[in-house]
Amino acid sequence: MDAQALSYFHELMKIAIEVGDTRQTAEKFLVTLRQQFVFDNVAVYLQDEVTGTLEIVYARAVGRAKNAEADADWGETFASQVLAHGRLLLRDPEAGASPDDRLSQAYLLGIPLRNNGLIGGALVFVRFGGPAYEQEHRMMAALAAELLSVMFERTTWKKTHKELRDLKMQMQLQEDFVSTISHELRTPLGFIKGYSTSLLRKDTSWDIETTQEFLTIIDEEADRLSLLIENVLESARLQSKTLPLRFQPLRLDAVLRDVATRLRARYKDLAINMDLQTAQSIHGDGVRIAQVFDNLFTNAIKYAPGSPITVILHQTAEKAVVQIKDHGLGIPKESLPLIFERFYRARSEKATGTGLGLFICKQIIDAHRGKIWAESTLGQGTTFFIELPTNPIN
Amino acid sequence: MAKRILIVDDEPRYLRLLEANLRTEGYEVVTAQDGAQAVDVFSGQPIDLVLMDVMMPKLDGFGATQRIREFSNTPIIILTAKGDEQDRVRGLDLGADDYLVKPFSATELLARVRAVLRRAQPAGDVGGQSRFFTHDNLKIDFARAEVWKGEIPISLSATEYRLLLQFAHHVGKIMSSEELLTSVWGPEYRTDKEILWVSIARLRQKLEDDAHTPKHIVTRSGLGYLMPPIEE
Repeated sequence: MDAQALSYFHELMKIAIEVGDTRQTAEKFLVTLRQQFVFDNVAVYLQDEVTGTLEIVYARAVGRAKNAEADADWGETFASQVLAHGRLLLRDPEAGASPDDRLSQAYLLGIPLRNNGLIGGALVFVRFGGPAYEQEHRMMAALAAELLSVMFERTTWKKTHKELRDLKMQMQLQEDFVSTISHELRTPLGFIKGYSTSLLRKDTSWDIETTQEFLTIIDEEADRLSLLIENVLESARLQSKTLPLRFQPLRLDAVLRDVATRLRARYKDLAINMDLQTAQSIHGDGVRIAQVFDNLFTNAIKYAPGSPITVILHQTAEKAVVQIKDHGLGIPKESLPLIFERFYRARSEKATGTGLGLFICKQIIDAHRGKIWAESTLGQGTTFFIELPTNPIN
Repeated sequence: MAKRILIVDDEPRYLRLLEANLRTEGYEVVTAQDGAQAVDVFSGQPIDLVLMDVMMPKLDGFGATQRIREFSNTPIIILTAKGDEQDRVRGLDLGADDYLVKPFSATELLARVRAVLRRAQPAGDVGGQSRFFTHDNLKIDFARAEVWKGEIPISLSATEYRLLLQFAHHVGKIMSSEELLTSVWGPEYRTDKEILWVSIARLRQKLEDDAHTPKHIVTRSGLGYLMPPIEE
């Protein structure tokens, strides 16, 4: 074999095992094939897995029948014969065809194609007006069919592989959810059980401070458990869209002021700077939107203690954008895309949480057809952005 | 003398709970907040019992148990929030003496601690086990899973380290290929001698001054391999 032939085969093989779009690869392959193997029309038929019928997946007229459109021979019935026989078939022009009309003198060569180890299609070459396929041509065509089969099989496997991977990921998510929720529920329960049984011990007595400390922990953990259950139920309802939202005209500046006033009553030293553009009402559920703001403020208080909070509201005719900014430690870059995921919690020494707060915020904003995201610089602080359409129904 | 108990948990409220209850029974308590810290604290002082949480950052409770078992028989009770059988079996297989599923009551915890301590040998009477192993110029720090050749730290793959531990734990004993393959790679590799040959060759490249005349891992033709005892 000479170097030129080897490089030609190498090129064909390279194309056939390329990963990419089937049609484009088939095109590239057959164009390259034609450098050494002459044909006018080529058609690739694959068997439909469900119905068993042959489907045309690729066809090109490159030679004499370029302008003959549907009138030329594409070997449809011939392809079925190839499939039925399961081996290379040849068909010469019918006797009595006009020698002047090349298009009526079709020389057909068909080779079966494999799919998933079974014969599942046919590759058909057409030469109008000859020449007939010699031994060398037939071997060349068989090689081309072999390579095309590899290509189609790889495509099928790739598709199956992706399906399986997606399915596996889904199962993993579900499993993680169950394992996280059971862990999250067990933790406060474990404290309640542990500290209450400590107090109930008959073989020892605790001093008054320790008793007080244990009872406080039991009380706080019972609250945490109850909040957790409430959040789990609410996020489940939001996700299944069974939590009804009551849309009504809403002034965001008023909602933000309300939430801030409530928080100032709870946290005496809290500094909130507001830069609110007074503008038109938007359509939204006031209670839920207030819940989102409350959650973001509380997060800022929890993760950036002592830091002033800046709130900016900017509105146009179509949308409103709220920014809630703190000057805390910030969120690491790799955590930013995850903070809205269910049960995700950036590990922190002091702060406790259910890992559901931001997930619920996102569900609520999604239900308003809005967007919520965060930007953060480590050591400088975090800004949460909420974008709400003026009228989510449009 | 009061028994000293190491408690390991990443939740401060669990540490407080365990500590408060153990102290009422007269135990001394030391704490660690993750597995890596636990191994460090453990190897720094005599400990009579370890209470080990499973889900922790850095090194988890299973990893820390395994690490401690490489050089000590001190009893370990695993505290697990996962009650499923697989987890309990895994803990016990790694060398834990007992397990306690969270949530647990204070009285049950104390009863388990008493029971395990009754069965155990006192600390310091564990048959010459220590955190460090030396063989000529070779030194292993079991607690940190680190290997040194003189002053030079040696980087070993996980398999190479496990293979080396087999020799270090059985100095002077000839071990057959089957034995080594079974304990390091698993029974299904028992006849796969070439994989052992390659690994021992690689280990010698890293540990020996001259891989052709090895001092640490010696071949006994037809019998197996051994780490010869060092003559004083």
